Amino acid sequence: KGSGDSSHLAASGDGDSIKVFVRVRPLTQGTGLTTDGDQSLCLTVTSPNTIRLLSKPEPRTFTYDYVADMDTSQDSVFASVAKNIVESCMNGYNGTIFAYGQTGSGKTFTMLGPSELDNFTDELRGVIPRSFEYLFFLINREVEKSPQSKSFLCKCSFIEIYNEQIYDLLDTASASLFLRENIKKGVFVEGAVEKFVNSAAEAYQVLSMGWRNRRVASTSMNRESSRSHAVFTMTLESKECINSVVNIRTSQLNLVDLAGSERQKDTHTEGSRLKEASSINRSLMCLGQVIMALVDVSNGKNRHICYRDSKLTFLLRDSLGGNAKTFIIANVHPGSKCFGETLSTLHFAQRAKLIKNKAIINEDTQGNVR
Amino acid sequence: MASINSDEWRAICDKFTNAQNLTEVESRNDPENEPFRSKYKARELLREIYSSLKCFNAGEGDEESREESTVQRPPVEPVDGQREDECGQDVSGDSAAGLRAAKLGAVEYYLGVNHVDTEELSAGQEHLMNCMKLLERCSVSSENVSLFIHVRNQLGILWASRDETETAQGFLETAEAIYQRYTKEDGTPPTDMTEYFTTEENLLTHQERNKRFELAYTHTMYYLAQIYKNLGQNERAATYCHSTLQRQLQLNQFSPMEWALNAATLSQYYITKGQFMLGRHCLSAATVISGLAGDVPSEAAAQESETESERREKLRQQRAEIARCWIKYCLNLLQDAKKVLEDNIGELDTDRQEELKRARRREEEEEEKGRKNALLFGSEDTFDSIASVEEKVQCLFPLDFTEARAVFLVGQNNVTQAKEYFVMDGYVTDHIEILQDHSTLFRSLAFFEEDLERRCKMHKRRVDMLEPICQDLNSQYYLMIRRQMMFELAETYSEMMDLKLTLANRQADAQSLDSHTIKKFNHLCSASVKYFQMFLDSLRSPEGKIPEHLEEEVLRPALVARFRVGRLHSRLISSSPSAQLENLNNSLENYKYVVDYCEAHPEASATVETELELSKEMVGLLPLKINRLKARMATNNTDDDAVH
Repeated sequence: KGSGDSSHLAASGDGDSIKVFVRVRPLTQGTGLTTDGDQSLCLTVTSPNTIRLLSKPEPRTFTYDYVADMDTSQDSVFASVAKNIVESCMNGYNGTIFAYGQTGSGKTFTMLGPSELDNFTDELRGVIPRSFEYLFFLINREVEKSPQSKSFLCKCSFIEIYNEQIYDLLDTASASLFLRENIKKGVFVEGAVEKFVNSAAEAYQVLSMGWRNRRVASTSMNRESSRSHAVFTMTLESKECINSVVNIRTSQLNLVDLAGSERQKDTHTEGSRLKEASSINRSLMCLGQVIMALVDVSNGKNRHICYRDSKLTFLLRDSLGGNAKTFIIANVHPGSKCFGETLSTLHFAQRAKLIKNKAIINEDTQGNVR
Repeated sequence: MASINSDEWRAICDKFTNAQNLTEVESRNDPENEPFRSKYKARELLREIYSSLKCFNAGEGDEESREESTVQRPPVEPVDGQREDECGQDVSGDSAAGLRAAKLGAVEYYLGVNHVDTEELSAGQEHLMNCMKLLERCSVSSENVSLFIHVRNQLGILWASRDETETAQGFLETAEAIYQRYTKEDGTPPTDMTEYFTTEENLLTHQERNKRFELAYTHTMYYLAQIYKNLGQNERAATYCHSTLQRQLQLNQFSPMEWALNAATLSQYYITKGQFMLGRHCLSAATVISGLAGDVPSEAAAQESETESERREKLRQQRAEIARCWIKYCLNLLQDAKKVLEDNIGELDTDRQEELKRARRREEEEEEKGRKNALLFGSEDTFDSIASVEEKVQCLFPLDFTEARAVFLVGQNNVTQAKEYFVMDGYVTDHIEILQDHSTLFRSLAFFEEDLERRCKMHKRRVDMLEPICQDLNSQYYLMIRRQMMFELAETYSEMMDLKLTLANRQADAQSLDSHTIKKFNHLCSASVKYFQMFLDSLRSPEGKIPEHLEEEVLRPALVARFRVGRLHSRLISSSPSAQLENLNNSLENYKYVVDYCEAHPEASATVETELELSKEMVGLLPLKINRLKARMATNNTDDDAVH
């Protein structure tokens, strides 16, 4: 008898686990950061995929898919992290790149490049501009190969998640938006502006426009950029006609700049910190989170938890344990002052490795006649 | 000497009020580049209060010399949680000296909290420990008990943030003990710490004092719940969550919506532990308390105003969530009952049923006893309402169809309610999860149904609710959920097929099935094959290849699906020998896959032990059967040739 077999599937999802790239930034000098002038290091890169943290009493070694030392170039970061994901996107897979780390650990530098950079031919430009270039390079190559039968459509959206509210960075006038699900489209942000782009330059323009809004928003509405997650999504639709059969593939490339890790007191990264309710009027809402953790450990029984995933994990559900290709870039600062944060980032990155992903192709054969 | 009503004292009180205001109100509006501006200002004020307090009290009698002598004493680091006797208690809490210590302690406490808030943990710790030292000399009294508890709560939070859970646990458990001893031995409404710095006309009412004191202790419970969770002591943590909720309810310190969701979530802890009485109690309380949040605003009202629309959304969602917790309650109760009642082929064991019915009387008495011992929710106003919600569904295992049906109906009503909010368009995943639960409810109920025709209809209902959605779902975004549905559909069709056959065999003489029944049977059989096959196809790589190595999560379902497909093929009824041959070959191929796979991956064998054994047997037997069929076909052909 085969009863109960379907329950085995509940935790399904296999194949490519999330890949983790750890990047160590150089020591800061003359930038006014608190980490300035701190010359003692708390870690050493021991091989292209191991890092040794000089913890007491024993140093600890962590292993990842890649570890980049201070002198690793932007181009080689792109080559190891994003190149493959962009290629998969062209083939109909969804891809996601997360940047994670403490404020000041080099997330923005890795993703965008030096701040206020508008000229994106700079040698120091980051993963995002390079991804755009590469994507459009691939698109143009495909179209040139078969101009009659292949066409592509690219659109971008850019949203920010702050305090569990979603804001549209391409339309700052809009109120907070909602996440919805559709039987055909999956999870999406309802009403988010989508801009069509035809080249890497246009895509970069959309990105920098949104990025500026993110900063503006951080002062006008008392939001801190480092406390918000920014999600830039590029949707790629490709059409191919072979013998009057139209194949349409869609894929998404998500570029996510996570809030500074030291600010994420409400996510799973916080370890054993207590949720406080010290001020007299504060609610005990978080009690639910405690109970939730208790229920979650019970063995695969059928239960319902009243508290939903965070907006971010819900939006990117597909990238976390779903069927997409995902890379996490964990940025760390080598200074010994940052030991605590670095340790927690390395721990986070290690936990992330346990998430499994399965990439499947997304092919939808529409009718026979064009 | 300055009196309690002197101008000097008033100035201190004003400063204190000011500092409180800065900390609690102003700090929320601090600019981003100076996030702690108000807190730093408050800190300065507190420091000033501290030094004036030192001078202020210095004149009050001969305390100074005593203080000197205590300073001489070797410092005793108070280690909370390990030390029962409070060493060196030489000042009674309600004496002038005790009050002075408490006041200074309170300022240290506020300074400590201030430093912790501004991310200066070590300095915060120092101030909080100073407070502890000052209190250490005093006995617990109504003047200082609140401070005793507050400072330990804070130290608990502080140490927990450093991952020193045991240290935190020590402080919090001491706070708990102090509260319990105080309420048992004294129990008068204790002074709130803010009252140390208020002029007489602004003292709090007894009621307000009590409220604040009890809230501080509620927080102790709440922090302990988290500590025990972090220590992996789940049962204890659940008890503390329960107490926290009960205290909130009794003291009327809660928001109905939050409270109800917390209680509903807690119910899920209990039902997964098989404690249905407690689970039902939590859910009934959740239902009653969520009612206190008021009626859901109408759609018209929601269109009028934004706040109404937000409230409508929240209330509808919350009630749908609670409904979903009720569904799980009914589901688990039915499923657990089924587990107890089924025999080794998954049918109702009537002997066991009789035995359990006899045992039922005993259980009912146990339930009463359990009820008396268990933690229960309720305040004077709500207790009866909660009890009356509880009465609507049983918490003992249903033992026959009538009882199972009653549980099923409660579940089904909640399905309807939950679906009203979690509609397909907008909440795909939630909606489907509810449908899956509905389907499982039917499946569990079918177990209790003795009329096979009706049982079959219940399974048909499951197919009808899942099949159309399974077809429509985007396979890229809903891969996992689709796999679950395909598997469930395959199993349901199989189940229906078996029922049809049993029915037909009962009615007709054995082995003489009419063509209508055969057609029906084959249809169900093929449908089951189709969905198993769809499931197996979903495992293929983008290039269409079957993976050589099955991932752990799909290993068992994939091998079971293969096995079932093998079996289903061999059961298809056909009169044409060539079709029979094809079916048998298909069957063999699938059995072979299971055997070959386990040979290549020995670690897989354990997960499909029974299936593997049977597959091996079939791989041995089927070729003989196939050869016999082939031989017969050959003879028939030659016979045919001979005729022509």
